[in-house]
Amino acid sequence: MPAVKKIRIIDSMRRTDIENSLKQSKRLDGRAILDYREISIETNVLQKTSGSASVKIGDSEVLAGIKVELGRPFPDTPDKGIIICNAELLPICSAFIEPGPPSEDAIELSRVSDRGIRESGMIDLPQLVIREGEDVFAVFIDIAVINEDGNLFDACSYAIAAALHGATMPTFKIENDKVVILEKVKPLPILSLPISTTFVKIGDKILLDPNAEEQTMCEARLTLVTDDKGNFVSAQKGKAGGFSFKEFNEMIEISKKKGEEIRKKIIKNDK
Amino acid sequence: MSTIERKYVIPGDTIIEGDYRPLINAIKRNNRVISTRIGMAEIVRKDVRVIPLNGTYYPRLDDTVIGIVADSNAFVWEVDINSVFFGILQGSAVLGRTFSASRDSLASHFKTGDCLIAKIASFDRTRDPLLSIYGPGLGKVSNGEICKISMAQVPRLIGKKGSMIKLIEENTKCKLNIGQNGVIFINGAKESIVKIKKVINIIEKQAYLPDLNDKVNDLLK
Amino acid sequence: MSKNNYIRTNGRAADELRKVSIKAGIIKNADGSAIIEFGKNKIIAAVFGPKEVHPKHMMRNDQAIIKCRYHMMPFSTDTRKNPSLSRREIEISKVIREAIQPAIIMEDYPRTAIEVYIEILQSDGGSRCAAINAASVALADAGINMRDLITACAAGKADGKIILDVDDVEDKTGEADMPLSILPNLGTITLFQLDGCLSEEEFKQALEMATNGCKKLYELQRNALMNKYFNNNKNKGV
Repeated sequence: MPAVKKIRIIDSMRRTDIENSLKQSKRLDGRAILDYREISIETNVLQKTSGSASVKIGDSEVLAGIKVELGRPFPDTPDKGIIICNAELLPICSAFIEPGPPSEDAIELSRVSDRGIRESGMIDLPQLVIREGEDVFAVFIDIAVINEDGNLFDACSYAIAAALHGATMPTFKIENDKVVILEKVKPLPILSLPISTTFVKIGDKILLDPNAEEQTMCEARLTLVTDDKGNFVSAQKGKAGGFSFKEFNEMIEISKKKGEEIRKKIIKNDK
Repeated sequence: MSTIERKYVIPGDTIIEGDYRPLINAIKRNNRVISTRIGMAEIVRKDVRVIPLNGTYYPRLDDTVIGIVADSNAFVWEVDINSVFFGILQGSAVLGRTFSASRDSLASHFKTGDCLIAKIASFDRTRDPLLSIYGPGLGKVSNGEICKISMAQVPRLIGKKGSMIKLIEENTKCKLNIGQNGVIFINGAKESIVKIKKVINIIEKQAYLPDLNDKVNDLLK
Repeated sequence: MSKNNYIRTNGRAADELRKVSIKAGIIKNADGSAIIEFGKNKIIAAVFGPKEVHPKHMMRNDQAIIKCRYHMMPFSTDTRKNPSLSRREIEISKVIREAIQPAIIMEDYPRTAIEVYIEILQSDGGSRCAAINAASVALADAGINMRDLITACAAGKADGKIILDVDDVEDKTGEADMPLSILPNLGTITLFQLDGCLSEEEFKQALEMATNGCKKLYELQRNALMNKYFNNNKNKGV
């Protein structure tokens, strides 16, 4: 017998309402099926970081903080800096999250976020090298989920993009064979801005930006990450249902278009 | 009526000093009556009570509650009654004496997500609340919508002698079932339900205002 | 220099608090929540419950149990912190739990758990005191029966002087740090720690100073709750 409320339960009347509304391609909060909720982005919200951003998509709220520190390169990539990306589902964000070791969902969120940055070549890693094979800069990207209302994949993606876009890194000099970090900072070398878009399938409809209810009752979920050049850099399908090839092609098109809109918003926000 | 004195309090506030009795959400320390909640303190003669503005529902015997079936096993349904504990509805209480765990499947009767209006049949500090759906107006409901209000605001939604609920029902031609646990079942036209949800939102946010009935009346017209 | 016009390295007077702001009810999914900005500290406290106890064997039949977690985000400190709980965080979780428990009327909630989660988004010395202030507002916001709010403030010694509200630099360079939490209306000390060396006279002076600091913070906590629930119509009769 479950001792704690582990999963969100949607009552059957609400479920019928959502399904009936979707037949007319409308959502209960008034959105069209391919609309995002209101997205708000605020950068430089934390003083002890090299870059930070707070992103809200509707009631979902995440906070990303970047720290750039001295590290040692991995033995197989002596000529590249390090990225470490970690997203945490904090117990404050929902009644369904318990403290303790990260759950499956938290690890998936972390890894999908990480892949988007890594595979897009977002950060120019060779530029983070101080001395090849010995000293490099490590970029730590940590994400705190403050409030959960669905679509955390996108919220994390935008928070990372917004935080890294305005982030800085330290400068250095080498003195007596030692690396000395200087006070002066320079912009972190960012090559691309990967943007994720998340779809869910309910009945025969494809919805963009699911809220918590929609995400709970959906059959399948797909996150697609695109970069500036329109390449697909990372993707993740979730949940036990499936998509048809036709639906897949639709989502690919929408993902590129929406990704571009949101990318502009993030760049504009930073100016 | 002139003997009633009211004021806004938070936990730890001294409501009054002297020979008074703490009744609800108040305690007595060294001749002082102290509030234990955020709310409105009321002093009627020698009795002090605090009407809280927030809080979680704690089950009480004979309360009518509205809940959502969360899970079922071979013997019982677990019902989410928006409370500290799940409500337990026993299979035998619904299917009758012939109920057999090996032959009858509870899931075929009420499914996860079904909405029930139920009574708290028994609850004490040693076990989870037992529910009953036998009685007038109790049982499974469909065709309507569910919304929530803080359980502390339930008395205000009902109003003095049901004045508020009557006001809403007459103006919108809807039927409201209000659970003591803060869950409300509304049956009626979609547009009216939208209106009622707005009213409920106002009641929740401004429950401390004295002219609440007038405000709601304006909103409904 | 006399005590009254002593100015610290951070520009504050000896008995001056950092800038503090508290806001109640900022997390939708929590039963109660608060954010506090205390100097550079930025801390969120969220309360869930009372709810069912898990694991069941921790349940008590006569009263509630309190679960408290103080956790620092990796980006909250000068050098990145490992995300898992350190020994320091576990100790602070414990002392905070013990500091807030005397205020909660535990017997009103048998067989339940009250969960208090504290997330440090940015730390700047005195985070445990700031966290207690936020947790206290979050508990009241969750509608949990309490005897009193809990309010906390530290005093300490730096540069040979007794000072109020020790910040990060003063904590590292100073001689003593003494966090205190009290139930302001009942006059009970619920958290007390001392890290450093004080004479008996200094000890008493620091205690008095911290108590005065607590009183100022109590007003801010009170305003945060009044703002949320009564649009700040302070004590106005109906």
